[in-house]
Amino acid sequence: MIKLNDIVVKFGDFTALHNINVHVKEGEFFTFLGPSGCGKTTTLRTITGFIEPVSGTVVVKDRDITHVPIEDRNIGIVFQSYALFPTMTVYDNIAFGLKIKKLKKNEIDQKVREIAKKVDLSDEQLMKAVSQLSGGQQQRVAIARALVTEPAIICMDEPLSNLDAKLRVQLRNELKQMQKDFGITTIYVTHDQEEALTLSDRIAVFNKGYIEQIGTPNEVYNFSKTEFVCNFIGDINRLSESVVQKMIDAGAALKSTDHNYIRLERMHVNVDPLPGQLALDGTVTSREYYGLYIKYYIDLGSQTVKVIEKNDGVRIYEVGQQVKVVIDPRDIMAYPPEVEAEAKS
Amino acid sequence: MNRTLDQKLHPETLVRIIGVAFFAYLFFGFMLLPCLNTLTSIFNTKNAAGERDPFAVIRFFLAGNMGKYVWNSLKLAVLLVITVNVIGVSIVLLTEYFDIKGAKILRVGYMTTMIYSGVALVTGYMFLYASDGILTTALKNAFPGVNPTWFSGFNAVLFTMTFACTSNHMLFLRNAIRGIDYNTVEAARNMGAKPFKVLWKVVFPTLIPTMFSLTVMTFITGLCAMSAPTLLGYDSINPEIVRLAGSSSADEAFPQARAALLSIILAMFTIVLLTVLSSYERKGHYLSVSKTKAKLQKQKITNPVWNILAHIYAYVLFIIYMTPVVMIIIFSFQTYSAIRLKKLDLTHWTLINYFGQEDYEYLTSRGKYKTRVGSISGVFSNDATLGGIRLSFILSALAAALACVIVVVACNYIFKKRNKKSGVVLEYALLFPWLLPTILICYSYRTYFNSDSVWYVGNQNLYYAQNVRILIVMAYTVTKLPFSLRMIKASFYSIDEELEDAARNLGAGGLRTFLKVKLPIILPSVLAVFALNFNALFTEYDMSATFASTYGTSYAMVIQAMCAEEGLYGYNVNASGRRCASTVFIMVVSGIILYLVYGVGARDLGERLEARDRRRKRREKIAAFFGKSEKNVA
Repeated sequence: MIKLNDIVVKFGDFTALHNINVHVKEGEFFTFLGPSGCGKTTTLRTITGFIEPVSGTVVVKDRDITHVPIEDRNIGIVFQSYALFPTMTVYDNIAFGLKIKKLKKNEIDQKVREIAKKVDLSDEQLMKAVSQLSGGQQQRVAIARALVTEPAIICMDEPLSNLDAKLRVQLRNELKQMQKDFGITTIYVTHDQEEALTLSDRIAVFNKGYIEQIGTPNEVYNFSKTEFVCNFIGDINRLSESVVQKMIDAGAALKSTDHNYIRLERMHVNVDPLPGQLALDGTVTSREYYGLYIKYYIDLGSQTVKVIEKNDGVRIYEVGQQVKVVIDPRDIMAYPPEVEAEAKS
Repeated sequence: MNRTLDQKLHPETLVRIIGVAFFAYLFFGFMLLPCLNTLTSIFNTKNAAGERDPFAVIRFFLAGNMGKYVWNSLKLAVLLVITVNVIGVSIVLLTEYFDIKGAKILRVGYMTTMIYSGVALVTGYMFLYASDGILTTALKNAFPGVNPTWFSGFNAVLFTMTFACTSNHMLFLRNAIRGIDYNTVEAARNMGAKPFKVLWKVVFPTLIPTMFSLTVMTFITGLCAMSAPTLLGYDSINPEIVRLAGSSSADEAFPQARAALLSIILAMFTIVLLTVLSSYERKGHYLSVSKTKAKLQKQKITNPVWNILAHIYAYVLFIIYMTPVVMIIIFSFQTYSAIRLKKLDLTHWTLINYFGQEDYEYLTSRGKYKTRVGSISGVFSNDATLGGIRLSFILSALAAALACVIVVVACNYIFKKRNKKSGVVLEYALLFPWLLPTILICYSYRTYFNSDSVWYVGNQNLYYAQNVRILIVMAYTVTKLPFSLRMIKASFYSIDEELEDAARNLGAGGLRTFLKVKLPIILPSVLAVFALNFNALFTEYDMSATFASTYGTSYAMVIQAMCAEEGLYGYNVNASGRRCASTVFIMVVSGIILYLVYGVGARDLGERLEARDRRRKRREKIAAFFGKSEKNVA
């Protein structure tokens, strides 16, 4: 569907994208994830045509569109700020692209009302100014405007970042549902790893203009290819050499020279270790209460690790309590120090 | 070869060539060359023997009394800075910072100078305070010892301009004080600071940048004062330049070169002051670091004595601001005899100063009665006044629109070429007139274009006959470019860059994006700038006085003429009444414009739609009340 082949983008002397290669499949929800300044928006803008790469090609449905003007690409976009035209009503915003295509008036009207219905905008809201709508409604308008011209692809540049936490979660679900209903190939840019994990079919994790890993949410989270990815996605503990040594002594196939990481939920407190698992003694130094779960800080002697436990009302540990932390060496992700450089090359 | 030709004829290239040519023509033809001509004319002076003597005028300046004009202007500027700041800061504090009873009404009074200024204001003050003014006459009747000419010369100019020049304080200082984070005041109070200490240590420091700008602007206003010194009789630079410009070498020694020298001196002062101001502005300001600003709450003056004194002071100022306005409005509806006797006649009210005509019978020196047909006439029935209004209306609207169009086109280019030299060059070219006093530009136009050898205007003498109107429009436009640029450029900044991307993504080309997306966003600001430009130019005096001629008699010149011609040989008997009516007319026009700009124009689409809904509901209510269906009403 979309193929980015060896894309290089430069701003003056600065190389923003180094040989980016991505293949997005038809109907896929594909996310570009990474910290700010990593190149994810630049990649998106290269696809939409706002940026022209120094080298490499953008191919959509086997057609090379690298040098095709923005307006002829048939790629919809939902901007971070929504970029709704403030001087037009909701209706006129949605109809803008159709008017440019010189559709007949009644055809425009039909299409606008159809798409408005699909994104849950009422006739009354269509006649309002965009400033009279809530953030969530504005987002729906932006999506409707992008979809009404029936683009082959829709690109979304952090469309949820302007909303409050609760609305973000609500709209995230709606967005996913809409994408399923429309069946449209979607490229989504975000720095929020939770958003990426919940929404995406596949994720490309960006760092400093390189792609560190492309994979399903499970692959990216549980089998992070690089140290950067495992650190960027979710919370994680890096185990100290002495803890690793203890595990090696107990028979784990680890190397103390590697950087060894374990996710918080893969460590358990005061449970009986199964064969192959290792129990370490520790003391609860503090805890953070999150409602759904509790995060404990446990001093293992050589380091403090974070562990989360479900807040089931049964196993609650007090500060100062002696506990056992159980680790399964198979849950550990290990990276030789030079892996990062290799991945990029 | 063909390829080069194709490139040359590409529409975009053609537009660029036309654009460059137009702005080059504007800058060189109507800014740089006329002013350079003024500068060089100083050194082209010829002495009595007809020989070129480059330093004659400078020697004349050093030896003669020309220095008096510079000194007088400087004296006015310095004292004006003090008085305007004292009054300006007072009125802002009294209405915005301290808890004074009736602050809303006080504010209305203090803001009256925004709806009438320049020649309208000065003649208004003269109507009250001049030797035959209403208040002076009343005072003379009550206390025969009062000096009837107290309101003339320097004192009168300083008094009038002090109150006339506080409009900027009410606009900018008021905004600055409203922008203060109230939490900082509360924090200071919490740490034990008394209200006046808070004012001095917390509030004032944040106002310093605004105060500095206001001080520089006031100083320049004082230096370049025109209408007040001319009408009230004070020998400052500007009136002298205008006088010299109209003089000939048969009457006095090299008047043109002297006028040029004075205008260059004025320009030098302005350039130095504005350079100081912009280098200060570049240093940066105290910006509020607060993310959650608290709205300023009025401070109660706890000491009862100070509180009473503050109230008295506030209302005395209110009376000073309001008296001319109220008197002018009242007397504009009075008969000519009441105005002449300076006595309010509550039994006779008339609209004659606005509409209609009457004959006037008067006793000649030979003891005969003579009738002057149509000698009493209203603003809208007096040919000269109506002609002035019409001319000013057309010329101001043309110039205001022209300035807006030029600046919008320029801004679109400047924003496209934001990081390129050509954008910066264009911006500075349009800001150039800001550095020069208006009088220099006008004087330069008058002398430079008063010849049929300027090739780029088709060898036409633009100061001759009706051509002077073109000259006035050009002068109006050029002097309004810097202000328009600053305001419209700010509105371009408010366009979200993603909007342009969105429009292009949806298939819109450059022109369509500009017309459908960008222009509607900046349009309220452009219309506001147009309205403010028009408002300022409609009653503009300084430039009109410089270009004064039969074909260039603007509204302000007509108003000025009304001060002098009253009742002589039975002509223009109600000139004072018509002057009052004129001022009321100006107040109404300015009031409507300011309401449209700051009231209606500031609303976004959502607010406009809400207002439309409210109107519809009101209509429905009325329709329901009268038992009609909504359809019938619609």
